[in-house]
Amino acid sequence: MSTAVAIFEQKHVPQPRQVGKPGGFLRRTNAVTALVSGVVLAAIFYVATGAIVNAVTGGGQQDDLSLPEGLQVQITMMYVGWILGFMGGIGAFAGPIRWFLGHDLTYADAEYMAGKDMGRKKFWKYTTDHKVVGIQYLVVMLVLFGFGGLLAMLIRTELGITWAEVFNPNFYNSLIGTHGIVMIIAMIIAVSGPLGNFIVPLMCGARDMAFPRLNALSIWLLVAAVPPLVSNLLMGGIRDGWTVYQPLADQAPVGMIGYQICIIVFAFSTGIASVNLITTIVAMRARGMTWSRVPIFVYGVMGSAIMGLVWFPMYQYSQILALSDRVLQTSFFTPATGGSVWLYENLFWLLGHPEVYVIVLPATAALLELMPVFLRKPLFSFKLAIAGIFGIVGLSAVVWVHHMYMTGWAPQSNYPFMLSTELISIPFSFLLLVMLGTMWRGKPWARLPMMAVYAVIWNKVIGGITGVYLSDTPVDQYMHGSMFVVAHFHFMLMGAGLFGAMGAIAYWFPKMTSRYFDERYGKIGFWIAFAGFQVTFFAMFVAGLQGMPRRVLQFDNAFNVANWVSTIGAYVIGIGMLVFLYALVISWRSGELAPGNPFGAHTLEAQTETPVPHENFPVLPVVTSDPYDFGVPDPYELEDEELIREAEGASKVGAS
Amino acid sequence: MSAAAESLSPTTGETVTVIERRNRMGMWLIIVSCSTGTVALLVAYAYLWSLNVNSAWAPPAGTANWAPVWPFWVIFTGMFVATLLLWRGQQLIARGNSRALVRDSALASLILLLCFVGQVVQIATFPFGPQDGAYASSTLWLATANCIWLFMALFLTGAVMNRTRAGRITPESRGHARLVAMFLTYLCVAAFLGSVFTTVMQESPNTGSPVFGTFKE
Repeated sequence: MSTAVAIFEQKHVPQPRQVGKPGGFLRRTNAVTALVSGVVLAAIFYVATGAIVNAVTGGGQQDDLSLPEGLQVQITMMYVGWILGFMGGIGAFAGPIRWFLGHDLTYADAEYMAGKDMGRKKFWKYTTDHKVVGIQYLVVMLVLFGFGGLLAMLIRTELGITWAEVFNPNFYNSLIGTHGIVMIIAMIIAVSGPLGNFIVPLMCGARDMAFPRLNALSIWLLVAAVPPLVSNLLMGGIRDGWTVYQPLADQAPVGMIGYQICIIVFAFSTGIASVNLITTIVAMRARGMTWSRVPIFVYGVMGSAIMGLVWFPMYQYSQILALSDRVLQTSFFTPATGGSVWLYENLFWLLGHPEVYVIVLPATAALLELMPVFLRKPLFSFKLAIAGIFGIVGLSAVVWVHHMYMTGWAPQSNYPFMLSTELISIPFSFLLLVMLGTMWRGKPWARLPMMAVYAVIWNKVIGGITGVYLSDTPVDQYMHGSMFVVAHFHFMLMGAGLFGAMGAIAYWFPKMTSRYFDERYGKIGFWIAFAGFQVTFFAMFVAGLQGMPRRVLQFDNAFNVANWVSTIGAYVIGIGMLVFLYALVISWRSGELAPGNPFGAHTLEAQTETPVPHENFPVLPVVTSDPYDFGVPDPYELEDEELIREAEGASKVGAS
Repeated sequence: MSAAAESLSPTTGETVTVIERRNRMGMWLIIVSCSTGTVALLVAYAYLWSLNVNSAWAPPAGTANWAPVWPFWVIFTGMFVATLLLWRGQQLIARGNSRALVRDSALASLILLLCFVGQVVQIATFPFGPQDGAYASSTLWLATANCIWLFMALFLTGAVMNRTRAGRITPESRGHARLVAMFLTYLCVAAFLGSVFTTVMQESPNTGSPVFGTFKE
């Protein structure tokens, strides 16, 4: 597929003066220094802000600190201190300061920052190598899933034990809200984080991402954003669901500030990652990789990054303004003083709905990527798949109002948005059609990644069809706010997103870790989780159709059976996920060593050796064929054969 | 220019042209993302202005006033001049005049510093507090966002000056100056739109908005 061209000889490039040892300040920073400086600066900001608030409001009276406003300012500044301290402690400010002062990195500096020859220490540092960042994303994602999953188990325990109350209602509501947003963040990064960073540059034939330092910044901003979110449980919690609608959120305890700070910082992380991914894909593709030769997974990640880039700032600003309402007493979302809750809902859902596609697109594209490999036949209608991806990206901008049918905002807009929402099922169906077309008359290789394809097709059909019902205004009037909605979006986000991510990670696991994924335990865990998933959420559909509202911990006895079944299903999911995690851990620790191209793929990431060399490719590749030409005769081979035949013919003519 | 004669990056060994093309694209994407945020603020302003919820768009009568609009325009003019200076500097360095970029970026930094101070003074002397209704909130945040942008612009133009003096920005490799000029142009557009909104949209057109009560618990 590729030939080699060396593009540079590093030793001939004039270097800036090396000041000190390579890496400079970054030699002394790591996750521990980040943690320590984050905690210290958070404490300093908390105390200093307290003193200032005291001085301003009452000349150092202790009582003033107990005022909600004073305390909220203190907590906010504490989180700001945490973020600044953590990012400073990991070394994020060293690059900008060095740049400001007019110093450039030398090659040795860049090599140090990329973690060359650093061993496992590089995973704990501000490392710029995209492969390290990919692994860091994977670990952060697993931690978030573990935490979010644990909260899900607690929620289902409360709902399953119908004869008693396990948690008090406020804490239960906090569990719901925290579970929701933790899982949303985890799902947003599930594929685009680990695989977007590790695999996409390799697939494009690049040596690294376009902006390696921004890459390190994006992962460490994410790491910094998580503790404020988790800490909300200790400070009154998020009691308003993951959407934190106003004005409820404005009246919530100070734990809400942790949510808002987390989203503001996470949006920066996502924006930076999106800029990096899009630029890498557009500007750093290997020679010969025309747009018709770009792997479909790369298209999926790019579509997701475009939506994240454009829409995330809306969500970010909704939280900035909400935080301002709490801390500065502004009135963006407070009707009594001229604000509007509809403004919040619009800003929120402008990202809130595209975010579903931010999650589902890369996972779906990953499955489309691996299907030709396990079916040994070309991807069916490559262009239709691209049309599906960009159709979703385009239409995602005009569907957000279907979340607001029942809010009373602009009722005349309901039907146009109903139409646009139903329209988006068409590009979605394109992707399903491509999946089915690729499978048609194929001979599947029954490996775990291929199992994920079957699971996701089923889940996506269920989630998609129920989504069409919910986008219908009259139906939504009945279904809105019920468990039916909860089941629907779990089928999309978990059923299509998470199960797709599991397949994708199993597929690229050998490339990322140099070891085969243990498919025996992996398959057992996967199918147990899948079975549990069906039980849990079909029971939830039933409860929703019976009329059970969501976000309640006390309900009528009529819903008991559905909730018992659902809770049993959730525990089964938990068991399946633990088995899958066990497979992942033992594979990573002591799995069978994998070759560079364990499944015989044609894409560029499979053409480099495993473990992937520091600079990815010894020489930059040149692409000469499509990535899915399985079973298609190589035109160059055909050409060679024709030449040979012509030569043989000529020699025969000469001999005669 | 042939690739052999072009400057090469010390860290990646690629030609400067390749890297600059990539950086430009990154900057465009950053501008797109930042624009969405600016649009969010402008939409918030226009939406609340048009609704006049609870008749509370305007600051309470007798206690506060509309903000004077001239400071917005003065600050915007300063930003505009600083942006022009930086564009001129990076064009002059293309003709081999490095000193011109040092001078122009220093001047741009000075102007932006004055704008920054002016913005802080404007925020501190608004004739209303953040709690005085939706107009006060929206105007305060447009000004605050501009203040944050000005701080960042100051950092960037200062860096251009330092880097040109240190010989990092040269006639052959002036991409960073161009990137900063691009970003400043975006900031100018954002400041211009903010100034237009605060000038044109003061009294709400919705004079008969319903009264919702206080919504107090």
